[in-house]
Amino acid sequence: MQTQRNLPLQRTIGRALLTIALTLLALLFIFPFYWLLLSAFKTQAQIFTMPPQWLPHPATVRNFVDLYRETNLPRALLNSIINSGGHVLLALFLCSLAGYAFAKYPQAPGHGKLFAFVLGTMMIPGAVTLIPTFLVMVKLHWINTYWAMIIPGAAGAFGIFWMRQYIAANVPDDLIHAARIDGCSEFGIYYRIVLPIAKPALAALGIMQLISSWNNLMWAFIVLRTADMLTLPVVIYLLQGEMRTPYGMLMAGGLLTTLPLVLAFLLFQKQFISGITAGAIKQ
Amino acid sequence: MNTPAVVRTPGQRLRSDLWRHRHFYLFISPFFILFALFGLYPLLFSLYLSFVKWDGMTAMHWVGLANFRSMLDDEILRRALVNTLLIGLLYVPPMMIMAFLFAQLLNLQWLKMRALYRAAFFLPCVTPMAVIAVVFGLIFSAEKGVLNYALLQLNHLLPFLHLQPIPWLTSENWSKVAVAILVVWRWTGYNMVLMLAGLQGIPADYYEAAMVDGANTLQRMRHITLPLMRPTFRFCGVLSLLGTIYMFDEIFVLTSGGPGTSSTNLGLYLFNISFNDFRFGYASCVGYTVATVVFIGTLIVSRRSRQETGVA
Repeated sequence: MQTQRNLPLQRTIGRALLTIALTLLALLFIFPFYWLLLSAFKTQAQIFTMPPQWLPHPATVRNFVDLYRETNLPRALLNSIINSGGHVLLALFLCSLAGYAFAKYPQAPGHGKLFAFVLGTMMIPGAVTLIPTFLVMVKLHWINTYWAMIIPGAAGAFGIFWMRQYIAANVPDDLIHAARIDGCSEFGIYYRIVLPIAKPALAALGIMQLISSWNNLMWAFIVLRTADMLTLPVVIYLLQGEMRTPYGMLMAGGLLTTLPLVLAFLLFQKQFISGITAGAIKQ
Repeated sequence: MNTPAVVRTPGQRLRSDLWRHRHFYLFISPFFILFALFGLYPLLFSLYLSFVKWDGMTAMHWVGLANFRSMLDDEILRRALVNTLLIGLLYVPPMMIMAFLFAQLLNLQWLKMRALYRAAFFLPCVTPMAVIAVVFGLIFSAEKGVLNYALLQLNHLLPFLHLQPIPWLTSENWSKVAVAILVVWRWTGYNMVLMLAGLQGIPADYYEAAMVDGANTLQRMRHITLPLMRPTFRFCGVLSLLGTIYMFDEIFVLTSGGPGTSSTNLGLYLFNISFNDFRFGYASCVGYTVATVVFIGTLIVSRRSRQETGVA
């Protein structure tokens, strides 16, 4: 009897402790973002003060002004938007088109083998194909162009798989047959019927592609050469000097690079996470 | 069904079948064109490059197996292998344990604002490494970093611990720990989300039945959760294996593989011999060998998992 009476109290305390512990851990995980935000509004001296300033006093916007004056940041922002925007749009188009084909033409000769082949290409690690892909870029004269950032990987196997699953499950065959009888072309069916229904899957794929292409550092570092073509992550990386790194400016630029992604993630959190877990369930 | 007037050979039938489904082939063709250019051709060319010596500019020399022999006496490659292993051992266990713990907690029905906690733990893996690794560089700074400041404060509170400032980025041993901390921070949320999906895939009746039979929390964990989570654990494990070997951004920005080569892993080493040293032939050879070993490894793991699920 004693234990039974104590149980609700024990449970309340236990739950409260767990909540507090979880909150502390969450704050610990958020801390680097807080530090980024803070440092963006500090001078170089303030950044390296001991003990650290937990809030910048006085706060300065000098870093943002310097960043604007001394670097090609607006141009880098534009480049990032063109590269990521172009990549995302192209990927959404190509993956949904192929996904639709794999979902709704099961009678086509070779359908199963071709789809297995597409899935199999996911096993190829990028590290093996890096050098020759770079050489292909050289041959195509795509070095230091937007094409090098937009085209390769635009029709990825995962995207096709993801769109196929969604379209197969959510677009009724009857709807397609009816449209065909009404004289709608095959591309018209894709454009007018499949795409509107597949919007949630497109949102998920779009956010996944956006994050990976916006953050891309290695490939951008290899194929982009001149200051007017560099993307935000590369500009931020190159701000780190051998001798003296302008940390305030770096943090200000870092904040501008990170914010759009954080916002996009918070808006599309649900879709993004459903996309990631879909990959796991496939295995 | 068959029109008796026209007798069609199988070849003709196939041709008309192909023609009837021309839209299917048209719609999937972009993938195959892009794959041929940026996947298949590089894959084959890279294999060829494994047998040549080439800096990308002067003429290629066929060297046969010399690249493979060089790998055997490559001191830095050996060190990169050891570093990869050490960094993996340093970060994978804490990351998996934390991810599983977080997933368990975020699966508790009474917990409020679960979406907020999930966002907090997950946010690290959507952020640009080029930025965050620099922030970590500040946090890890030996004399002016927040982390060492926190250690010193802790030492004031608990002097018997004898805590001292740690040279996170300037010591050959601690640089690996610093990388591991960054990786745990970045990828715990990702694994947590996968494990959360795994946990939510376990039918609730199993737990209800176990409760009716009087199984306590620990027994339910041991006999229901852990066995049924095995495929998820294995998937996370394979991802971590690949992630450790080919990890690049984290190390490139935080330590550039240093000091010395103390935090250079295989991914960074491959990048260095490719695009710093321009040893295209040798780099292809190393890349191919690593990828083959990894491929066979993951094949064995997935085969075993198939056997297990077959038995169960």
